[in-house]
This record gives sequence, structure tokens and C-alpha cells, in this order.
Amino acid sequence: MEQKYEEEIQMLEQEIEMLEAEQEETLRSIFIEHGDRLQQELKSVCEERGGAQKHALSKLITEVRELEKDLRRQTEINGIALNECFVKTLHKSERKLVQQLRLAGHCSVLLFQVEFAVTEIQEDDALLRRVTELNIVVDGVEFKDFSAFVSRFPIWRKSRLHNRLHNIKVVEDTKDLLLFFRTLRTFSERCEERRQTFQHFQEKYPDVVSLPEGCRSELMIIRSPQLPGISMTIFWKIDVSMEGVIKPRLELLLKIPDQAREFDTKKVTENGSEYFQSLLRILGVEASIEGLIRTVCL
Amino acid sequence: METIEQGVLGHLMALERGGMGQQDQQESQRLEMLKIRAMSLRAKRDQLKHQTDAVKILKDKISKDLPLADGDAAGGFTELKKSLLTAWRMQLKDLQRAHHLIGGYDLVECKEGKSVCVSFHTAFEGVYLETYNMELDLTRTVQISRHNIPPSFPLESFAKQNLQKDLKTFLQTLNQNLNALAARRQQVCLLKELVGSVEVMESNQLCNILVLMCTAQGETPKAVLCTLEYGDLTQCLPTRVSIECEDKTLSESPQWKKNQSLLLESPAHAALLTMRRMGSIA
Repeated sequence: MEQKYEEEIQMLEQEIEMLEAEQEETLRSIFIEHGDRLQQELKSVCEERGGAQKHALSKLITEVRELEKDLRRQTEINGIALNECFVKTLHKSERKLVQQLRLAGHCSVLLFQVEFAVTEIQEDDALLRRVTELNIVVDGVEFKDFSAFVSRFPIWRKSRLHNRLHNIKVVEDTKDLLLFFRTLRTFSERCEERRQTFQHFQEKYPDVVSLPEGCRSELMIIRSPQLPGISMTIFWKIDVSMEGVIKPRLELLLKIPDQAREFDTKKVTENGSEYFQSLLRILGVEASIEGLIRTVCL
Repeated sequence: METIEQGVLGHLMALERGGMGQQDQQESQRLEMLKIRAMSLRAKRDQLKHQTDAVKILKDKISKDLPLADGDAAGGFTELKKSLLTAWRMQLKDLQRAHHLIGGYDLVECKEGKSVCVSFHTAFEGVYLETYNMELDLTRTVQISRHNIPPSFPLESFAKQNLQKDLKTFLQTLNQNLNALAARRQQVCLLKELVGSVEVMESNQLCNILVLMCTAQGETPKAVLCTLEYGDLTQCLPTRVSIECEDKTLSESPQWKKNQSLLLESPAHAALLTMRRMGSIA
């Protein structure tokens, strides 16, 4: 008799767990598919004031408002904006949780998609958490420099991002999710510094400075219309090592016409790039570039 | 007659019950409890089933672009909005969790905005390690009021550099250094756990130096001292590795030059495991 009840209880508990999971999934999928539209409709609900009906929902509405506010805070301080977030719970029990997450977003102008699985085990008073799978896709003109670093993470399937996508080959699998985002943030900042500096000089000296590949690229060319055939090309690379170390690296390429070479008694063309490196060490990036530009502004 | 029978039967039953031992009473109590639990679970299950079905119908309606408020009873409409808001809340909580999992600072405003609390999550090779917390007082200048960062960590010097002028840079610098520290420390734990044959001779709180004693395989096993110096505290790999052994030919050998590179290029425990697998060390 007892056994019959015990069996029924166990069965009911399992059913309840399943139903709760099912409800969660369905609610999540509603938001995944129709999120934007629903948010619009619900915004009006949240903004309406008064009405007896609202009492029942006011707690929920307040919660949603608070969560939205908090999310804005996290996005701002973390420097990472998440546009998409799919969560799938593969296993949930008292002590263990296994989830798969797929995130898409951007860090400044750099787009990323990250798919990972995380396992959490509650052991006594400690929570053990580990990433068990990790796939990354990045997109953006700047990521040319990034590929060596991202190659340590496995490739994901071809995503629906546009053609400029840089697919990443599998080399190593270290599942270092946090390292990826820390590195992405710093990389994004260095790219932004470069872009601002390039843009600044192009605006200040429009006749002399050109950015043939745009302000988000690594190239800047300095050329004076009064000195045809002479050009100085600055390559501003941002190296990212396998360990996520970020090093901006500037190089100068000098070009002068053959006839002018005869007059180059001080071997400026040969040694120019080295001189530039010294200049960088002494004056820093902006002052060095300004200096170079001034030399052709006759 | 019935009354007497009832009376007699009732009396007999009472006697019977009284005759039942303690154990039997406990058993019947337990049975009662199980029965009640089963009943309440059944009710919960039924309610959940009802809710889950309602949500599925809702999803269907939304997919088919049907108007969400289609003349249902006012109560029904509230139910609907409740489900939608619940769905939205779930999505927001998922996003919060995502920020947390990717190593975000989990910034929390306290004391009506007068201070904020941030967390620094550390991880190495996919395993989440310690979380450090800090409270920053924002009343006049930015001040660190509380934290649980180890004292050996140069917190003050980082604060001096960036705390006032650029909070985000300060947080990032701390994040990077704390993660590197956690990574170096984890490597020491892992090598103790996985490569028992290697002895840790010297290590310190900041894990910026690691001296290991290995046993080199050969005709006669020889002791080799590997010193790993971590000059860059933002990194978890050493900047310098020196190999010392009484037998100079061993420490100068190509095999050990290779081992030296391994120790420079990969985490300590991984390098040692490789060295052991290759038969270089015990």
C-alpha cells in the first residue's frame, strides 16, 4: 500500500519537473521567436498606470522594469552588448545543472557569436562550474589580426552573418570563455584608438592623409600633392597572441621615386622605418604621426 | 439495534486500534502522510498541466498573428499578459546569467547609488575559480571600501593609477591581473595533483616564481631544478625558465632545451605531463 503511494509520488514529481521544464521552454521560445514584437506590446502595458487589473501584474511589471535597468547597467560596465541569448537546459537536478547557451552580440563595432555548454555541480558548500564546449565566430574588418588568437577556439558552423565573416580553423580547444571576452574588450579598445587617431588626422590634413581602406583599417597613407611619387604608408597592426596579449605595432613604409634615390645620401629610405620606431618610443603614436605629416606639408 | 451494533462495533474497533502496537500507529500515520502528499502533488501536476497547455495555446496564437486580446474574459486577458511578462522576465534573467557567465562584473548599486559592488570572476581552461568582490564608495571620490582580494596583490598601486580617472580601465586591469593570478595558482594545484613525481620547492602568494624539482630519467635518475619566473603578472606563462642540474651535459642537452621551451610556451602542468609522457622525467 505504502509502496504504491511512493511510486505514485515519484512519478508525479518527475512529471512536475518535466512540465515545469516544458513550460519554461515554451515561454523561452515565445520570446525567442517573437521577442521584439512582444516587447513593444508589453511596453504599453508597463507604461499604463492605474486600473484594478494592474494590481495582479504590478509585481511582475516592476520586476521586468528592474531587470531591464539592471541589464543596461551590466551592458555598460561590461562593454559587451548581448542581442541574442538562447538558453537550453539539458539537465537539471538538485545538485547538477547542464545548460547550452548561444549568445550573439557586439563589443563596440566588433560582432561575435558564442556557443558554449556549462556544467554546474553543487558540492557541499562549493559550486563547481566549468565550460565543457566552446565555439566562437567573430566578424568585423578588424578581425584579420584576431584570427591567430581565435584559432585556439574551435570553429562553429557557418553562421548567417554576411560574407566578410572570418571562419576560424580549429587548432586548440581550451574553452577559455572569460579569456575570449577579456581579450575582445581590450582588442576593441585598441581598434577604437586606431580608428579615432586615423580619423583625426584625415580630418585635420585632408589633402595629405588618405585612408584607402577606411578608418577601420590598418593603413594610412601620407602623400603631398606637391611631392608626387613620394609616399609614407603607416601600418598600424594590432597583434593578438595565442594567450590574448594585445600589442599594437606600427610600421612605416617609405616610397620615393628612383630618380630621387640618387639624392638620398643620408639613406633615409633605408633607415626610415627604424627612425620611425625610435620616434614612436620617444614621442608616442600621435606626435610621431603628426611629425611625419608635417614633413610633407610644405 | 443498529445503534447498539454501531456502538458495539465502534467499541470493538476502538479496542482493536488500542490493541495495535505503536508501530502500527506509526505506519498508518505514514500512510496518511503519503496519501496527502500524493494528493497535493497530483493537484500541482494538474495545475501545471493546465498552465503549460495555456502557454502552448498562447504561443500558437502569437505565431498565427492572432490578436492577443480577443474578447476573452477580462481574467483571461490578464492571464495572457502574465504569461508574456513571465516570458520576458525569463529572457531578461537569461541575459543576466549570460553576462555573469562570460565574466561580467555583476555590478550592483548599493546604498541608493552611494556605492557599487563589483565581482571579479576568474577562470582557467574552462574551470571557474575564485570570485573576488569589491565595494566602491562613490560619494566624493571613488574609494575602495571593502574587498576580499588577497593582501599580496598590489591593489593599492592599481588604484593609484586608474581608480579616479578611469573606472573601467581600473576594473579591466584588476580583472586581467586577478585572472592571471588565479591561472598561475591553478597550474600549481594541477601539477601537484597530476604530476606527483614533481616536487614544488618554492612558490609564493603572488605565484610569480615557481621552483620545481624533477627527476630526469636515465641510467641513473638525476635531480633537475626548474625555475619559472613570471615577470609579467598579467600573464599565466613564465617569462624566464632556467634548468639546473649537477650534470651539465643533461641541462645542456637538446632534450632539456626542448623541455625549457615547453615550460615557456605551455602551462606548467601541461608541460610537465608532456615531459613525463615523453619519458624525460619520472
